[in-house]
Amino acid sequence: MSNVEQPRPGEVELKVGFPGHYETRKFQVPEGDAPPWDANTKFTVVGSDEPRVDGVMKASGRAKYSYDVTFKGILYGMILRSPVARGKLTGLELDEARSMPGVAAVLALKELGNKVRFVGDEIAAVAAPTLDQCRDAIEKIRATYESEAHNVDFLSAEDGPLVDDSGEYTEPWAEDSGMEKALAESKVQLTGTYRTEVQTHSSLETHGAVAKWNGADLELWASTQATFGVRGEIAQAMQAAKVKCDSVTLHAEFVGGGFGSKFSGGAETRAVALLAHATQTPVKLMLDRFEEHTCTGNRPASLMHIRAGLSADGILTAWDWRSFGGCGHNGGGGGVAMPNHFLNTAKKRTTHKDIATDTDPARPMRAPGHPQGFFGAELFLDELAAKAGIDPLELRRKNDQQPIRQAQYTLGSETFGWQAGRNPKPGSPMPGDDARYLRGVGMATARWGTLGSHGGRTPHAALCRIHQDGGVETRNGAQDIGVGNKTMMAILTAEELGIPVANVKAVMGHTSDPSGPASGGSTTTPSIAPAVRLAAYQAKLELGKLAAKHLDISEDKITWAGGKIGADGKWLTFAEACKLIGPNPIEARGQRFPNYKGEPIENGVCGVQFAEVLVDTWTGLVKVTRMLALQDCGVVIAKKTAESQVLGAMIQGISYALYEQRLMDKRSGRMLNGDFLRYKVIGSIDMPPMQAILQTVFNGHSNTSAAGLGEPPSVAAPAAIANAVFNAIGVAVRHLPITPDKVLRALNQRGGN
Amino acid sequence: MKPFTYILPRSLPEAATAAARKGAQLKAAGIDLIDRMKERIETPSEVVNLLSLKGELSYIKSERDSGLRIGALTTLNDLELDAALGAAQFGALREAAGRTATPLVRNRATIVGNLLQVTRCWYLRSAAFGCLHGKKGPACLAMTGENRYHSVMGYFDCVRVHPSNLAPALLALDAEFTSQLGDRQSRRKLSELFPKEARAMLAEHTLLPGEIVTAIHVPAQPANARSAYRESREKLSFDWATTACAARIVVEGGKIRTATLVLGAVAPVPMPMPEAAKLLIGEAPSDELFQKVANAAYQSAVPLSQNVYKVQVGKAVVRETLHAITR
Ligand SMILES: Cc1cc2nc3c(=O)[nH]c(=O)nc-3n(C[C@H](O)[C@H](O)[C@H](O)COP(=O)(O)OP(=O)(O)OC[C@H]3O[C@@H](n4cnc5c(N)ncnc54)[C@H](O)[C@@H]3O)c2cc1C
Repeated sequence: MSNVEQPRPGEVELKVGFPGHYETRKFQVPEGDAPPWDANTKFTVVGSDEPRVDGVMKASGRAKYSYDVTFKGILYGMILRSPVARGKLTGLELDEARSMPGVAAVLALKELGNKVRFVGDEIAAVAAPTLDQCRDAIEKIRATYESEAHNVDFLSAEDGPLVDDSGEYTEPWAEDSGMEKALAESKVQLTGTYRTEVQTHSSLETHGAVAKWNGADLELWASTQATFGVRGEIAQAMQAAKVKCDSVTLHAEFVGGGFGSKFSGGAETRAVALLAHATQTPVKLMLDRFEEHTCTGNRPASLMHIRAGLSADGILTAWDWRSFGGCGHNGGGGGVAMPNHFLNTAKKRTTHKDIATDTDPARPMRAPGHPQGFFGAELFLDELAAKAGIDPLELRRKNDQQPIRQAQYTLGSETFGWQAGRNPKPGSPMPGDDARYLRGVGMATARWGTLGSHGGRTPHAALCRIHQDGGVETRNGAQDIGVGNKTMMAILTAEELGIPVANVKAVMGHTSDPSGPASGGSTTTPSIAPAVRLAAYQAKLELGKLAAKHLDISEDKITWAGGKIGADGKWLTFAEACKLIGPNPIEARGQRFPNYKGEPIENGVCGVQFAEVLVDTWTGLVKVTRMLALQDCGVVIAKKTAESQVLGAMIQGISYALYEQRLMDKRSGRMLNGDFLRYKVIGSIDMPPMQAILQTVFNGHSNTSAAGLGEPPSVAAPAAIANAVFNAIGVAVRHLPITPDKVLRALNQRGGN
Repeated sequence: MKPFTYILPRSLPEAATAAARKGAQLKAAGIDLIDRMKERIETPSEVVNLLSLKGELSYIKSERDSGLRIGALTTLNDLELDAALGAAQFGALREAAGRTATPLVRNRATIVGNLLQVTRCWYLRSAAFGCLHGKKGPACLAMTGENRYHSVMGYFDCVRVHPSNLAPALLALDAEFTSQLGDRQSRRKLSELFPKEARAMLAEHTLLPGEIVTAIHVPAQPANARSAYRESREKLSFDWATTACAARIVVEGGKIRTATLVLGAVAPVPMPMPEAAKLLIGEAPSDELFQKVANAAYQSAVPLSQNVYKVQVGKAVVRETLHAITR
């Protein structure tokens, strides 16, 4: 940045769009905001390859997560959980546990007579000096239950979807003459049933917290993706101890992932606050891996039944969709999303029903509903394209009106080598390959939709401090759950102040700082970034005033160039200017204004992914051999961490497509693979070479034009892989994960193996 | 874990005395044992850490007859990288070690600990379930429950799977083992380490309480022998095989003269398949022949409700192993 542009509230013309598609649009910029960036802005560090600001701390173990927080004399907490999947708690005797060696507290978490909803439901909690003593005490709690018949499989539920032996949903379609007509008039029709299994949350850091009471005040170190929400939740839970939000401080400086499962503090955080209160000693309660798999939510199972029709020129003319979510005991959260961007003129009908089972309820998980819905829909589209004899990429090009994705189709197919990679004869080896292996490529699309918000009733904000010694802080009280928000804050501040990123300290995760959003919906960066930038901008104006006074030039002449401040041949370096600051730092707050009135280029983000697989026809093993993602996220602020988000989502997508599934013992209702030995998560040797191409799009909705990135790249990956398998073997495996047994069944069904 | 007394023996006799005490458990690297202790399905009052004898029990020595003597505490990583195992005749052992788990595990895991690891059956290894093999229940829970990774042959009243990679490889090489019980040493065929009839009430192995395996012997192999190990997996690391196969073959004048064939991960014990191996004798290597042998190896398979796929996959692995040796 060079000149300090003065704020220009009111109607502003911005150059928005993306390479090849720029246009000028009008937006209403609120008073007090920094002048918005647009495609004409020349950046110094925004979009560059700056490394993650806390990368070395993380890699060297110096980053302290909640799991690492400890105090002299700290106690450990543990939860007794129900072994019964459904029933009632009829007895709870805690006295023997209380008398066990070391035990400092035993608390009931469920009242007698209350319902027990799943294996893992919280019954009681203990605190003791070691985990083994906790476990000894837990074993001495006598809990009795009146159990009822349970069901952990949504396909076996009374109101669950009926499928036949081949996995096809068998209910007749509800009558709809318009739909029947549209289908009948189409040239090519197809019907199919698609299924996905439960994917459990596998954050590296499990859920939990450390609680420490300082007199009447509570300090919490929590592994959470909603610092402010959880603080409120715990204050509420501690109302009996006369606690209000003002006496609870929550820290989440480093969080080992959340993926949607850590919005609430849950029973574990409430329990640890209560145990610490009861014992007046710091207590740590972090869940173990089995609890993590069975009690912290999941991406629920799904079944999708689709029929559709294609016109002679390859346009979708009818789209009939019914889906089911295989959910936990609350029967919610199982909704599935589909790529509506292909259904512009199609006659469309969709119905959805969530089915309850006696298991841990669903929680949001990286793009809730999308990987499963897009898997069903996009594999269906490839099958439909095959039936119509159309190239599946061509089918998408024809039916999609979004110019960002259109550009991605072109760039992606060229970069990936779509034509050369496609198996011209699915089910036959590609020329030059060993006949044992079948190769194929597939692609799929993604859409994700928000541009962040100002925070609703009370706006988010950020703080920027510039100190006398040149130190610069940028602060926000929301959490960086590992995605790189701190890096983004440091880069924006450095850009605005014209200083190196290394000179900025970014701090997040303390509720004593200005409020920020929960990390959900990929809104953290788009919500915070404009406030961070505005705070830096305001601080810069303050520093400019001091410099103007010192140099004896008028404030509106002050220019920032090449790291210097001044005008008319009178210049100060940034460090010299900072010396003008007194012992009190410059402290500026930037508030997040509502998204600008005006038409953004896209009200969300777009993506396309390509995958190549090699299928071993002898063993059924699928190996992903390369992948490419094209993803827009508005303005790319921190390129490295942004790419890392995309690569991580692709890795998670492969894992979901090929390996992950919760396996339940139906008789007991208990998860059988609730550990990382048997719950199969992708390992590094299973990962292919991957490339992420980020597209900067100036949307024009805020002073930074940043959009979200956490979730969108996880939408297309499983579908792209399933499509690649279809292209390789010539049969669609319509049920995730695509494990060797299913591949062999598909190959056997094709015959000639 | 439950508290226990930790014993660091200074000599083999001391270890043997300690191991003979009631409630004592031997520990090598502890990868399998500690896991079971954490789950509290194993609650020894004393743990005898053999690793304090590492200086004495970790080695790979070439014998005068060109066989190998391998100390009980030799790690899988050593097996994979030792030059003595570089010969084609020992390929099966080298490959079996190199494909196990992950580099981190292989750096610690010992050869005997690998052979004696307890089945991965998810019912048996969870304190929440009570089954016949764990001696806490009346029946095998996997037989009628979730059994996608369980046995397809060789089972009676328990469908657990013997998970060791090294077992089929060592059996294919006619390995033997030396053990110490009190002050007595004995050397037996490795096949005798596993029960003949894998009943639920029998342990994974036939060692007596307190018996310590001190060495594994891989005898001199027939001239021109080559061996190989292959396995099927659902992912390539941090996982156990779904089926495995080890074989040793001697080809002379274009014809197979001798052959051994052992299946892994398909039954409660590693499964030597002498009848199937016999089909190879006197024949010229060919894909057709190998498919015939693979079919024969799985002829007795009776898969469970969810593991039919293992038969097809297992046959492919036999076929692949035989190709790998004769390539
Ligand atoms: C993620 C993961 C993946 C894995 N994948 C595989 C795989 O693919 N294939 C495979 O084969 N294994 C696999 N394993 C298992 C691993 O190889 C074994 O756990 C390991 O080899 C055990 O060796 P250890 O030295 O730690 O044995 P320990 O745990 O110390 O001992 C195991 C048992 O053997 C007994 N024992 C040990 N040494 C002696 C002795 N000298 N005399 C008498 N008794 C003894 C102990 O009492 C104990 O009961 C995997 C493990 C992990 C954690």
